[in-house]
Amino acid sequence: MLKQVYTNNTVLEAARERISYIFDEFENIIVSISGGKDSTTLAHLTLTEAHKRGRKVGLFFLDEEVVYDSTIKQIEYLMDLYPENTIKLWLQLEFHLTNATSLTESQLICWEAGKHQIWMRPKNQISIKHKPWDVTKETVRDKNKGFGFYDAIENFENSRQNTAFLVGLRATESPNRWRAVSKNPGYKNIYWCTKMTNGNVSFYPLYDWNFHDVWKYIYDNKLRYSKIYDYMWKKGMGLQEIRVSSLIHEKSFRALVELPEFEPKTYDRLLKRIKGISVGNLYGKDRALLRVQKLPKNYKNWREYRDFLMATYPDPEKKEIFVKRFAKHLDNDYVARQQCRQLVLNDYENNLPIDNKPDPREVLIQKWRELL
Amino acid sequence: MIIQTKKGEIKLPCLEVKIVDINLVQANNYNPNTVSSQNMALLEESILANGFCFAVVTIWDPDLDKYVIIDGFHRYLIFRDYLQAKELPIIVLEHDITKRMEATVQFNRARGVHQVELMGDLVQALVEQGVPDEEIAQKLGMEIEEVFRLKQITGIAELFKNQIYSKAWEMREVDGVG
Repeated sequence: MLKQVYTNNTVLEAARERISYIFDEFENIIVSISGGKDSTTLAHLTLTEAHKRGRKVGLFFLDEEVVYDSTIKQIEYLMDLYPENTIKLWLQLEFHLTNATSLTESQLICWEAGKHQIWMRPKNQISIKHKPWDVTKETVRDKNKGFGFYDAIENFENSRQNTAFLVGLRATESPNRWRAVSKNPGYKNIYWCTKMTNGNVSFYPLYDWNFHDVWKYIYDNKLRYSKIYDYMWKKGMGLQEIRVSSLIHEKSFRALVELPEFEPKTYDRLLKRIKGISVGNLYGKDRALLRVQKLPKNYKNWREYRDFLMATYPDPEKKEIFVKRFAKHLDNDYVARQQCRQLVLNDYENNLPIDNKPDPREVLIQKWRELL
Repeated sequence: MIIQTKKGEIKLPCLEVKIVDINLVQANNYNPNTVSSQNMALLEESILANGFCFAVVTIWDPDLDKYVIIDGFHRYLIFRDYLQAKELPIIVLEHDITKRMEATVQFNRARGVHQVELMGDLVQALVEQGVPDEEIAQKLGMEIEEVFRLKQITGIAELFKNQIYSKAWEMREVDGVG
């Protein structure tokens, strides 16, 4: 039986041993960095080991263009920590992002050619600006959506062989994801990794760290971290809920609410870059509008509101996607509320899947009717 | 009075304030703006500390025989209910209903937000001037918790300096049932 067993080591000692093991086993090592606290810690641990051994490791950052300035400063800081041990893999190339806040501009192509005048910032001197893989063999998960963030990551990974990709995933952060990856050893007898193609393996050396371990490490090593964490803390957020996310994705549009207070210049540039930003800012925390928890008062029920949203949906191609998807669903208020949410957030990609089941309220009412 | 600008003449209703009986003033029925009780207390504090600096903006409604508020409903409430004033300084515009509604939203929305970092600097400066935390909280309309967070300049990593590292664990194949 597979069990979680505590050892006599601290998570720090264990992580150092894990990273040292990866250096013993792999010639090529790449750390994925996001500018967040977890990948900052992982990058620092890995670079320290590389420095000790006189080796080089790649720091991989897939730049979505529409990110906090603080994130970019953090990436620059990490890339320059141990220059002689670092291979800079900062990718700035075109791919599609979902814009959850606008109905008319539902996708943003970051670093889109010809739009350099309104890019959030100029491309970085040191960045990789052309796809570093064979474009004739490029894979795309979903042709309708176009070449997206995860496609870029996948193609980048597939362009490498026998490489250890280090990722700052923590089990306490996403228990579901953790269960999915820890069931079987992905490399030799190692559970904290996933096997990929070309002899590549993804490793998670921080899998057992808690958020306070990460902060302790950052404090002890006097590491720089994204200013956004301090701003969020000053704004009264709990230490556990503080995370630096993307700015326009359908699960993170709430970041827009606070953006003008955190980085007014980033917010101004974003307004010029893409539509719908001020909607996200004004109503990101409004239950009625974007979170879709409260039925607008002009509608009798969620089904009626859904029908209205469908009838007035501005993009005919995307509308077809919703029509087809909803045809497979039950027609009740429980399902309709979730459909409204997809329509309002413009989630034609089905990132917030619909729990298609009988309305729990109606089921309960029915049960009582039968009893009485 | 007017002032010339590159976009033409700008009228100056702010110079034409008059004092009227507060009972002649009433709210409009469309204002979507709300103010939390905490910020109402801050508004009262501000009026007590600075005086009434911004007249309430109104139109004259001949059917009601009243001045109807376009902007300044909450200042009016402070004067009427909190301070129980008999009179109120107002400005009277000549707007039809559409323009009134537009003006209400313009007044409410065309304003800035406080950049968190600079707000922290400001609170820190007050601390250095010797103002106690409780007084800062009261004068700036904050809870003491907010003052504590804003004045803390070392960053959140510092909060974890005395933390000890967690115990490591691993997935292991174990015989039998635990």
